[in-house]
Amino acid sequence: MNNSGPVLETLTRRLAETPPDFLEEPVVAGQGTVVVAALVNDLARMHGKRLPEAALGVFAGTAAHVDRNRLALVMVAAWLLADEWFVAKALAPATLVALLTGPMAELAVGTGAHKFVTDADRREELARVILGSLDYRPQGETLEQATDRLSAISATARRKLLAASRASEQRAREIRAALAAKAAEESADKWTRE
Amino acid sequence: MLDFMRDHPWAPFYRNESGNRLLAHEIAALRDFERAVAGAHIGWAPGTAPDWVAPFAARAYAEVPYYRALGSPPLRFTDIAPVSRADFALDIARFVPDHVPLDRMINFRTTGTTGHPLLVASHPVVAARYAAFHKRALRRVGVELRHGSGQVGVVLIGYQERCFTYVSVTPAMDESGLAKINLHPSDWRDGADRARYLDALAPELVAGDPISFAEYLKLPLTHAPRALISVSMMLHAGLRARLEERFKCPVLDIYSLNEVGPVGVFDPLAGGHVLLQPNLYVELLDPAGRPVAAGERGEITVTGGFNFCLPLLRYRTGDFASLAFGAEAPVLVGLSGRRPVRFLAQGRWLNNIDITHALRSLPVSHFGFHQKADGSVILRLAADSMVCSEAARAALTPLFGAQTVNIELLIADDKIVQYTSSFADAHS
Repeated sequence: MNNSGPVLETLTRRLAETPPDFLEEPVVAGQGTVVVAALVNDLARMHGKRLPEAALGVFAGTAAHVDRNRLALVMVAAWLLADEWFVAKALAPATLVALLTGPMAELAVGTGAHKFVTDADRREELARVILGSLDYRPQGETLEQATDRLSAISATARRKLLAASRASEQRAREIRAALAAKAAEESADKWTRE
Repeated sequence: MLDFMRDHPWAPFYRNESGNRLLAHEIAALRDFERAVAGAHIGWAPGTAPDWVAPFAARAYAEVPYYRALGSPPLRFTDIAPVSRADFALDIARFVPDHVPLDRMINFRTTGTTGHPLLVASHPVVAARYAAFHKRALRRVGVELRHGSGQVGVVLIGYQERCFTYVSVTPAMDESGLAKINLHPSDWRDGADRARYLDALAPELVAGDPISFAEYLKLPLTHAPRALISVSMMLHAGLRARLEERFKCPVLDIYSLNEVGPVGVFDPLAGGHVLLQPNLYVELLDPAGRPVAAGERGEITVTGGFNFCLPLLRYRTGDFASLAFGAEAPVLVGLSGRRPVRFLAQGRWLNNIDITHALRSLPVSHFGFHQKADGSVILRLAADSMVCSEAARAALTPLFGAQTVNIELLIADDKIVQYTSSFADAHS
């Protein structure tokens, strides 16, 4: 984050105003509306260069549980990266691909993509992560301030996610155990046996 | 009441124990639930989900681990990817909402013969809620249950080598008796006790399935219940007619699944199964997951339900029908289980429904139909239906002509996959 970037609020406001088209279903395993690879290619052209075909494969989804949320977040991020501030930087194709795969895939774990549109803290986190990945920080912040704020907002989110994930797994184990322990007909009456 | 049923001199060997497991405050809530179900309107504009569906879906994405892991809810309901029995079977725990307490969770097991074997997460309140839909179905044919304290309200009859049997009471019906019995002779000191015991209990309602009802028909009963309810597999028209004639009471064929509960009750005047649940949205989907055109057949896919342990969101049942919109409620027309199978007969393709229609006048409890790779067909009848074998062959001759129709004995005491084929393109 060695370079001063845009006013943070312009980015978070842009995220809050993400158009419905960018919230549609990404195509995964033949189902969905938006071919994310095509969207990313359009973004790259806005930045001055098309992406090589080989680079687009990572934006095709094959399984909803693995790819849906990740690709949905790529769509939201693509909207943000189409902002004139970023376009003026003419980001290289490799930079765009690296940004839309690594950091976006991490953020998509455990947080619904549209939360980065609807939730103020998540909007800020997404904007800061994208800026930080490009070695920028919000205008008016020192390097220290920007680093501290990104750490705080991300760490809090990650801690909550980790706790939720552990709790979810523990509960799933308890449910399986509870179901295995009970024999149906010995548990409760109903008038029919399906 | 429990002592009366269990210790009766003609009682069967009761092998198990069970109970309603309801808490006092839940009984009053159940009565409210029954009243709500009784008076509710069921329906929606064709192709448009009812208003309650969107918030229901949003809650599922927030509270159910499986959906939460998918990310944010889609903008459109029809973009929600359907799930199937295979998804439930893989890990049913992922479909139980976060808020459901586990201390009273129970399960209902489904068989593997018609799909993946499955444990369905449930609760005593959910089990008790079934009665609300049965009563709605009964009310349609003019039967208002009135049993109460000191009476046996419901007897569930099974007919298997072994099954769970027990006695209990129904709190919402003033602690009236409920017995689940097995008509298989191995559960009785004397086979003649079956009829004597049932007459002694004199239940207002008898529930079972086509197999157990075929056996029930053979008993020299003098008592007739006020209604019969059949679930678990399709009740053949011929068998229903025999039951109606013998007991002079309504015989309800209820389409019901462990995962969903009672879905619809067959009404010949309505042309199919009339839906019973106010908060169950039914779509018909094609193999690609798209809603079929109006009037077309598709896979019955449900959203909603009354089981708070397993909220359903576009759950593909594996059963097929078309949907008509009656004045009272939507109607599932031409219900059939499993993926449609077609059969080549005299150079043309027949639907499995055509086979059902051809055989409908016969009083058979259940049957299996299979086309071999060489085109010959096999009709498998249960032992007690073999007396109908020549009539069945005659009923199939107009369809299959000179093609070989073999009749074989069906050896199965429970549900089977009814229509199968080894013939090329049968599942196209």
